[in-house]
Amino acid sequence: MVKGNAGTTGDKTGITRRRFTLGVLVASVVGACGSLLAMLTVLSPEKKGGGYVTTIKPGDGLVYAQGSNMGVDIQASSMKVGDAVLAYPAGKSSNPANLVQLIKLTELKPPTNLALTDQGFVAYSAICTHLGCTVSWVANQGSPATSYTECFCHNSIFDPARGAKVMGGPAPIPLAQIGVKVTSDGKLVFTSDFTGPIGPQV
Amino acid sequence: MGKGGGAMIFQWFDERLELKKFKDKFLAKTFPTHPAFLLGEMALFCFVTLTVTGIFLGFLYEPSTKLISLFGAMVPSAYASVVKIDLLPMGMIVRRIHHWSAMLMIAAILAHLMRIYFTAAYRKPREINWFVGLGLWGITMLAAFTGYLLPYSQFSVTATSIAYYIAKSVPWIGDWISRLLFAGDFPSEGTVPRFFFMHVMLIPIMLIGLIGLHMVILVKQKHTEPPSNRNRKEAQAGKKLIGIPVWPEQAVISMSVYLFLLFVIALISTYIPLNPIEMYGPPSPGTPVMRPDWYFLPIYGFLKLIPGDLSFSILGGKITPETIGGVLFPGFLFLVFGLIPFLDRVKEAQPYMENPLRRPFMTSFGIGGGVFLCMNVVAGYIDVLHITPKAMITRMILATLAAWGISYALLRLYNGKEKRGNNVKG
Repeated sequence: MVKGNAGTTGDKTGITRRRFTLGVLVASVVGACGSLLAMLTVLSPEKKGGGYVTTIKPGDGLVYAQGSNMGVDIQASSMKVGDAVLAYPAGKSSNPANLVQLIKLTELKPPTNLALTDQGFVAYSAICTHLGCTVSWVANQGSPATSYTECFCHNSIFDPARGAKVMGGPAPIPLAQIGVKVTSDGKLVFTSDFTGPIGPQV
Repeated sequence: MGKGGGAMIFQWFDERLELKKFKDKFLAKTFPTHPAFLLGEMALFCFVTLTVTGIFLGFLYEPSTKLISLFGAMVPSAYASVVKIDLLPMGMIVRRIHHWSAMLMIAAILAHLMRIYFTAAYRKPREINWFVGLGLWGITMLAAFTGYLLPYSQFSVTATSIAYYIAKSVPWIGDWISRLLFAGDFPSEGTVPRFFFMHVMLIPIMLIGLIGLHMVILVKQKHTEPPSNRNRKEAQAGKKLIGIPVWPEQAVISMSVYLFLLFVIALISTYIPLNPIEMYGPPSPGTPVMRPDWYFLPIYGFLKLIPGDLSFSILGGKITPETIGGVLFPGFLFLVFGLIPFLDRVKEAQPYMENPLRRPFMTSFGIGGGVFLCMNVVAGYIDVLHITPKAMITRMILATLAAWGISYALLRLYNGKEKRGNNVKG
C-alpha cells in the first residue's frame, strides 16, 4: 500500500506528494498557456503601413489603369462630357491606393472643390469607402447629369457632380477628391493630394 | 485446407485485431430508419468527395502570387496553375466537382440542421451534438471561404478583400485578427500561402476532429426514433431502439446514397459552369458586379441594407456598418442557433422525434427565421430589383412577422385549443 507513503509529509517542509504534484501541474498549465499566448503574438506579422497610403505627388501625369491602352497618357481631348475612366499616376500603378476615377462633367456643384477641377475634369479616389471594391461609372447616355458612380459590391452610390456625396448604400463617407488640371499639351496631371481619407473606414 | 483464402485472411487479422468483437459491438449497432436521417450522411459524403478531389487539385496548384508568363500575359502563378488545371483532360470537371460538392455540403448541412430543429432532436440529451453541429457548419463555411481566394482571379481578390475589411472592422482586436488571418495587409504576397495552409490543413483537421466527435456522441446517444416506433411491438416488449444493423443493411443504403449523390454532383458539374476564372481574369483594377456563393448571400444582402452613417464607439472600440453587417449579424445568427436548446427544454431525455405540427411556437419561429434569411438573400438583389434599402428593410420585417404570425395561427388552429404536455409551447 502506498497510502501511508503518499500522505507522508516530506521531512520538515510540510508539503505532501499530492500537493507537490498538483503544484507542478498547475505551474505547467500556466506556463504552457503563457507560451501559447506568446506564440499567438508572434503569429501576427508586423503592421506594414496599414490601410491605403497613396504615393501620388502633384505633377504626376494620369495614365489609363486598364484596357488596351493601359499605362498610356490620358488625352483631355479623348473624353467627352459624361465620360469616366480609371486612372493611375504614371509609373505608380503597383500601389492600389493610387487608383482614381477621372470624370468629365459640365455642372460641378459644391461640395465639390472647384479649385481642384479644370475644364469639367474632376477626379476622385476609385476605392469604395465601404469595403474597398473599385467603383464603376454608370453612364446614362445623353444625360451626363443623371450619370453616377456606383460600387457594384454592395451598391453604394456617389454623386461626382457634388463632391462624390453618398447618395445611397452603405458607404460611410464620400470618395476623396484629388486635384487635376489639363496641361498645355492636352494631357492631365495631378495638382494636389487627396482631400480626405481613402479606402474603407475601419 | 478446407477453408477459402478469404476466410484465412480474415482469421489472420481476427487473431490479431479481434475483428469479431468489433463486428458484434459496432457493426451490429441499430440504425433507425427514416429518409431524413440520410441528410447528415450526405454532408459527410460531400466532405469525402471534397477530400479526394482536393488531393488531386493539391498536386497541381501553386500557392503563390509571383507573376509568371501565361500565353504572353504576366499573371499570378496561382491563377496560372488553376488555368492549367482547367486545360488538363478532366481537370476542369474535377475543379467543378470540388466546388459543387462544397455548395452541396453546406446545403446538406442546412437541411440536416432543419431536420434536427423541426423534430426537436436538439433537446436533452443531444444539446452537445447540436453545438458540435453548429461548429461544423461554421467551419465548413470558413473552408469554402478560404477556397475562394486560391485561384487568385479578380473574383477571388474582390471577395477576399471584402472579408479582410470585415475582419479589420472587429472592435479592439480587428487589426490583430486581420493580420493573423491574412498574413499582413491584403493584398500582399503573404495571404495566398496563409489561406492555402488553412484551406488544405488547418480547417480539414478541425473538420475531421469535429466530425469524429459528432459521430462518437451520436453512437453513444443514438438517434431519435420516428414517433411511429412508439407503437411497434418491439418497443412494447421493451426493446430500446428499433432499426436496422449498420452492417450490412445500413451500409448498403448509405453506399447507394453516396453513389447517387456522386452521380448528381457529376451531372451538375458537367453541365453547369462554376467559378469560371478564365472569364473573371487575373486581378485587375475594375470591380464588376459579383455575388458570393449562395450560402453567403444573407450576409451579403444584409451588408447592403445598413446605412453608411451608422457608426459609433463604445469603450474605445469602433462599431462601423461593416462591423454590424459582417461581424455582429453573423454572430447574432449563430447565437440564436446556439440558444435554441435553452429556449426549448425538457426534463426527461427524449427518445422520439417530435411532430413539427404539434409544436406551434418552435415551428413557426423556425419558419419566420427562414423567411428572414430568405429576405436577406433578396436584399442582395436590390440593385436589379430597384428597391431602396429602406423599403427592403420594411418588406423584410413585414414578411418575417407575417410568416411567423400566420404559421403560428395556422398551427394553433390545427391543434385546436388543447394542450399536449410538452409538445405545445407558447
